[in-house]
Amino acid sequence: MGVPDTQQTRQPLIELQGLAKTYEAGGTLIYALRPTELTVRHGAFLTVMGPSGSGKSTLLNLFGLLMRPTSGVYRLEGRPVSGLNDNDTSTVRCRMIGMVFQSFNLLSHLTIQENVCVPMQYAGLPRAKMHLRAQALLDQLGLAGRYGSRPTQLSGGQCQRVAIARALANDPPVILADEPTGNLDEKTGQEVLEIFQELHRAGKTIIMVTHNPIYRKYATQSVTIHDGRMKES
Amino acid sequence: MNSVEMAVTVYASLTRHLIRSLLATLGIVLGIAAVVAMLAIGEGGRLEALRQIESQGVDNIILRSVKPAEGNVQQTSRSYTQRYGITQADFDHIRNVFENVRLLVPVMDTRRDIYQGQQTTDIEAVATIPEFLEATRCRLVDRRSRFLKPSDGKVLDPVCVVGVKAARRLFGHQDPIGGTVVVGNISFRVIGLMESPGGGRLAGQYDLNNVVCMPLDTARSLWGGITFRMGRGVAEQVDYDFLYVAAKDIDAIPGSAGRLRSYLKSVHPQVDYEVQVPYELLQSARKTQRIFTIVMTSIAAISLLVGGIGIMNIMLANIFERTREIGVRRALGARKRDILWQFLAESVLLTSIGGALGSGLGIATASIAETVSRMGGESGLKAVVTSESLIVALVVSVITGITFGTYPAWKAAQLDPLTALRHE
Ligand SMILES: Nc1ncnc2c1ncn2[C@@H]1O[C@H](COP(=O)(O)OP(=O)(O)OP(=O)(O)O)[C@@H](O)[C@H]1O
Ligand SMILES: [Mg+2]
Repeated sequence: MGVPDTQQTRQPLIELQGLAKTYEAGGTLIYALRPTELTVRHGAFLTVMGPSGSGKSTLLNLFGLLMRPTSGVYRLEGRPVSGLNDNDTSTVRCRMIGMVFQSFNLLSHLTIQENVCVPMQYAGLPRAKMHLRAQALLDQLGLAGRYGSRPTQLSGGQCQRVAIARALANDPPVILADEPTGNLDEKTGQEVLEIFQELHRAGKTIIMVTHNPIYRKYATQSVTIHDGRMKES
Repeated sequence: MNSVEMAVTVYASLTRHLIRSLLATLGIVLGIAAVVAMLAIGEGGRLEALRQIESQGVDNIILRSVKPAEGNVQQTSRSYTQRYGITQADFDHIRNVFENVRLLVPVMDTRRDIYQGQQTTDIEAVATIPEFLEATRCRLVDRRSRFLKPSDGKVLDPVCVVGVKAARRLFGHQDPIGGTVVVGNISFRVIGLMESPGGGRLAGQYDLNNVVCMPLDTARSLWGGITFRMGRGVAEQVDYDFLYVAAKDIDAIPGSAGRLRSYLKSVHPQVDYEVQVPYELLQSARKTQRIFTIVMTSIAAISLLVGGIGIMNIMLANIFERTREIGVRRALGARKRDILWQFLAESVLLTSIGGALGSGLGIATASIAETVSRMGGESGLKAVVTSESLIVALVVSVITGITFGTYPAWKAAQLDPLTALRHE
């Protein structure tokens, strides 16, 4: 009671125990991520900062199950997920993780509504339900009436909003964003950040890589990486 | 991803580069067109062969007298008489000795002209017996028609039955029945009209619809031993020009034909006869069909191999170009098998479209080939497109799509999600 930060009382969503990633290049080992301990609880807004090449994307890709760790354990909602086979990994990605990229990564030959539908297609949603949900998400993100547009017809900020709608499609507990404002001007970046803040307020866990220290003000938890070494700050 | 979503996804990808995709199917289009066209022409040829064979009667063995190259010419007082062909002795032997004979129908070519006014026609006048109608699978046309009766030959009132084509030629729009046909210098009263429904030929020679039949006895009493005077004083004597032997048991025909051949060989010093066995033709038509099928299959296989490699090529290029899309889909939750199915479905759809276009082109080609081949004369190629051949075309194109789409699709599925995502 009376504790201003409820974070400590919540269930852990992500737990890293000695998670590490190394690359081998020309006989030498590169520690992209040194053995790392970290707990991210439900409802957190985590920012990941650090200089270029420090291992931020590596960390995020490990969270997103897009790469396998060299060692250590990654638990998602208490379940170890780093050892899952490709099939189960895909299912976890599909249902538990929403991803937002710096370069949007929308499929240019599909309409924005179809883009938002893609994760739901892989989740096996019925078509009608899928369309309704895609439209509701696009409405929510200020893209009402643009359902039939192609990504090439939208501005960068609008594209990133479509990407966020897509990340939310299967209502995953966590959204991973790797420099989501990196390709946007300051004002638009600010707008996108406000969207993340709103999502955070609505209860989503957000993990965001950013170069901009201003955005730390939205965070409930923050880490910095230097040469693969992570520090909570 | 369920199949509806898969179809939507594949459709969206395919329409992206429609022209390029269609060009990639060109090999399949041509391959399938070749298959469909050749199947159609092959089927047409087969049906035509079957029709001709069947119009001869599969249960018949037909003997035909053939004028030998070096005639057995005998010097008589004033002229040469050439005697050849199937003799009365042969006829008697077959009737008395051979089993498996249901009908024995002799036919003589009277070698007399039929006149229309002062003009001779190409209508053939033959002499035969009442069972002729049954043996040649002809039927009577007019309700007032009747065929020859055993008693017809004995009266002094010569009668004949006329084929429908001959009747049209001789009588035009007038009623042929009761009319008169002049053969040589004798008038015959028409008692019936007959027709060969299959457009059959008498022993493979004369159009049955273009003959005039008279009783054998009439011909004999009019013209005796059927000696025919040819130019330069050479005469021919043939007892029977044709002999229809209808079998009781069709399955025993090969044996009967064999015995008949060896009998004829033993009594005829030279080959002045021909043995036609429609049943054997049927068998050899089937063999030809098998050979045709093998040749066809080889051609189809080669063209589809080429077409399939084209598809594989375009799919590999496609997948390279869309590596990032694959990465995005994987990041959004697509399983390896979702990617595999997506690209496999895409190549199968491509080859199916190719198959459909190819079928259309094949049908067009076959009918053009038919038209062109008939431009010269009345007989030519015949193209028959069966629904089976279209199903074969579709199945083959789907199989080609699977065969040549699996490797690219498998490669796409094996891409590392992160590597694919970073692909430029
Ligand atoms: N596939 C790879 N093979 C070898 N080394 C790699 C590979 N991917 C990343 N690295 C190395 O791992 C380290 C961390 O890279 P990472 O992409 O995580 O950096 P980052 O912090 O995201 O940088 P930036 O801010 O520029 O995006 C770098 O030194 C990079 O060179
Ligand atoms: Mg990075």
